[in-house]
Amino acid sequence: MRAIKGILLTCDSAVKQILLAMNEKEPFIIEDVDEYHLVIKADEEYRVRRELEAELEKNTYSLEANQ
Amino acid sequence: MALKRAAEDSMAFPSPSKRPRRSGDRDDYIDVEEEYMSDPAADAALVPRGATINFSALTRKLAEAQRSVNVDGEESSLDVHRRQQDSLVSHIFMDQDFSWLHLKPDHASRPLWISPEDGHIILEAFSPIAEQAQDFLVAISEPVSRPAFVHEYKLTSYSLYAAVSVGLQTEDIIEVLNRLSKVPVPESIINFIRERTLSYGKVKLVLKHNKYFVESSHPDTLQLLLKDKLIREARVVSQQTDNSIRAATFTTSKAPVKGNLIIPGTKEAEKKKDESASSRAPGAPGTASADSDLFTSIVGVDGDDIEEDDDNVHAFEIDDAKIDDVKKRCNELEYPMLEEYDFRNDTINANLDIDLKPATVIRPYQETSLSKMFGNGRARSGIIVLPCGAGKTLVGITAACTIKKSCLVLCTSSVSVMQWKQQFMQWSNVTDRQIAVFTADQKERFAGESGIVVSTYSMVANTHNRSHESKKMMEFLTSREWGFILLDEVHVVPAAMFRRVVTTIKAHSKLGLTATLVREDDKIADLNYMIGPKLYEANWMDLAAKGHIANVQCAEVWCPMTPEFYREYLREQSRKRMLLYCMNPKKFQACQFLIKFHEARGDKIIVFSDNVFALEAYAKKLGKPYIHGGTGQVERMRVLQWFQHDSNVNTIFLSKVGDTSIDLPEATCLIQISSHFGSRRQEAQRLGRILRAKRRNDEGFNAFFYSLVSKDTQEMFYSTKRQQFLIDQGYAFKVITHLDGLEDLEDLVYRTKDEQIELISSVLLANESEADLGTDIRASEGDLAGTITSKDFGVGRFPGAQRTTGSLTALSGAQHMSYVEQNKSANKRLARDAAPRHKLFSKRDKDKATARKEARTSGRP
Repeated sequence: MRAIKGILLTCDSAVKQILLAMNEKEPFIIEDVDEYHLVIKADEEYRVRRELEAELEKNTYSLEANQ
Repeated sequence: MALKRAAEDSMAFPSPSKRPRRSGDRDDYIDVEEEYMSDPAADAALVPRGATINFSALTRKLAEAQRSVNVDGEESSLDVHRRQQDSLVSHIFMDQDFSWLHLKPDHASRPLWISPEDGHIILEAFSPIAEQAQDFLVAISEPVSRPAFVHEYKLTSYSLYAAVSVGLQTEDIIEVLNRLSKVPVPESIINFIRERTLSYGKVKLVLKHNKYFVESSHPDTLQLLLKDKLIREARVVSQQTDNSIRAATFTTSKAPVKGNLIIPGTKEAEKKKDESASSRAPGAPGTASADSDLFTSIVGVDGDDIEEDDDNVHAFEIDDAKIDDVKKRCNELEYPMLEEYDFRNDTINANLDIDLKPATVIRPYQETSLSKMFGNGRARSGIIVLPCGAGKTLVGITAACTIKKSCLVLCTSSVSVMQWKQQFMQWSNVTDRQIAVFTADQKERFAGESGIVVSTYSMVANTHNRSHESKKMMEFLTSREWGFILLDEVHVVPAAMFRRVVTTIKAHSKLGLTATLVREDDKIADLNYMIGPKLYEANWMDLAAKGHIANVQCAEVWCPMTPEFYREYLREQSRKRMLLYCMNPKKFQACQFLIKFHEARGDKIIVFSDNVFALEAYAKKLGKPYIHGGTGQVERMRVLQWFQHDSNVNTIFLSKVGDTSIDLPEATCLIQISSHFGSRRQEAQRLGRILRAKRRNDEGFNAFFYSLVSKDTQEMFYSTKRQQFLIDQGYAFKVITHLDGLEDLEDLVYRTKDEQIELISSVLLANESEADLGTDIRASEGDLAGTITSKDFGVGRFPGAQRTTGSLTALSGAQHMSYVEQNKSANKRLARDAAPRHKLFSKRDKDKATARKEARTSGRP
């Protein structure tokens, strides 16, 4: 019997696609539940959150960065 | 402090080994023991840097505290309270803490605040005297951002240069700023203004009797310039034998007065202006009456020349050949020369007898911009910035009609050449013989002594591969002297090309016209030096409020990507990403919904897509006619006519070709599905398509501008960037995250997953080249690269042959293959529907045509 501690993530479909793409590089998803839910490894949560944040930030325009 | 030093000392003890290095080479031999007894000066040197800074900060704070204690006795409790509050919040602002700038007691009635550090001016646009303050600020500074309530301006060297060039004096600028400012104008700003205005605009370059004169009302400035070797050598000394550089040797003459120069078309407006000026004494308490006096004398249209009236001007002559060197040298000396043209006293160049037609009346803001140009009865060189659709052309034509000398008009493409010519014919009484066109196809000359030539930048700037004819034409252009050169769309012209134009053509005055003085590369500053300062920039919101341009509601519609599309988007790294976010089925749906919604309201809709692949896909799917570069001339005219006159065709799809060259005043709604990355200029140009909407003066009329953006993609980034220019002009973009009722649409496209997947496979099959933007347009000879004004699209572009393997039976249809074209272009259907006109109408058409012909022949003298 092997138990893994997991976390249920609720996200929109776009974020889920980003997470799936990230998963291909470094697997952390335990179970793909449905369109809006994923179970991921608990100890990867922090890294995943950070990388996701960085990914989403790429599409945001800020005045400061361009001055 | 004592405590600190003690701590320092104790820290120093355990590490004596470091000491010899720190105290310098000279002391190397001194032993450790002796160093302990060193004097306090040496000790101070040991205190680390951080500690010293702390120390000075501490003393400053102490001194401040002491000062405040001293003052406290005299101040009211309110002040003390306020000061305490200041100290509570000031740390939040870090180095942008300006609480030391004290407000004037009547600050509430003053609308300005000036930042002492970077010269930014914040204006309360809701203040009762904001309008006058704005007039003044536009003259001395550059508008940065002008939304509804708080405006931001910036004082720059160039803006002050422009202020001086329209006749404002240093002390007046400071005086008015001080009157309007909530805080005393900071010393740093006063110094900046003094420094800049001291040299700028003091020297003028005047072409008089075809000789160049350096002119100034300050003889000492001229002397200073003459001390320079290069300038001294360029000087032409006439009659006087005494060569010494004294004020007495300068030619002295009376300064020009505006006198009876009247800009045509403004007589009515002028009268009205005077009335309103006298009745607009603002209701601001305290300073009101004094302020309004100052405004009329300084800001007022006729006030520009007042201070010059009784001054004598001094001048010396410059050798024609050396004029470029002198100009350059003067710039290096920080005495840039203003160029002015005393056209009324120019007897050498023949007059051009043109005038505005009596029916032509120019609008108040057009008049204001022109009065900046002709403020002292001479023509100044510079740039006028007006929004698209606000009548830039008319400003140019009026200027030409005021100067009444030979005129050269340069534009960006051969299409706008024809438009300019046509506009000249429409607004002024210029005859066919007086106006000539110089393009790749047409090389005309005007008859008589003087006239107008319309051409493109590249025709004039081109240095190689000229045909014999154009060589001759160029000789004609360069051999003569032009009174006036009009530069259309100055912001797009590359600097090198510009320089060539400006140096090869001898012109007395230059006027640049543009709607968007922004570039993605920051080359705008070059224009300041090559043409002249910005003379006038209109406020978009103001013009919209007065009904000169349409009121526009801007919205950004966020369309979520479907999971399938987003997955492909994440995988794809090439340009095809763009195709994926353009073709997002949710975007299709949003587009369909908006079209349906606005058609029901009775709007005429233009949908823009830079990407031709997406354009065709959308138009075919939604069954609407479209025009792109590959559309033939006949088909295009037909589609445009249908759009203009048929109430059944309310929507057309346009590619980049529609950005500038197609004028459709019927359109009242714009939807943008794909665009050229983060180009702020394109966004403004597209908005310009609906600014001149025919129905703009209807009660409560609003035009609509939608940008469809796929969520979580690069498009979000570009979209925000594109909007910056319009936001600075005061437009507010609403974000729509959900279109209500979208799901209930009956014939919603791509509703099912199967359809969406079919769409994605078609996108994935598409070539990478399909993702390119604006591929449908080919510039014709003489067009500037990057200007999309060409109507001469690539004709005869045949698709390349395709080779596939297949059995003969299959190809001949023996395997029961049949083809049905599902996606048909709506253009074709229109063509079929076009029934021959009824006899009654065709007769009327014929009558109309003959009437027009007669009118034209009788209109010509």
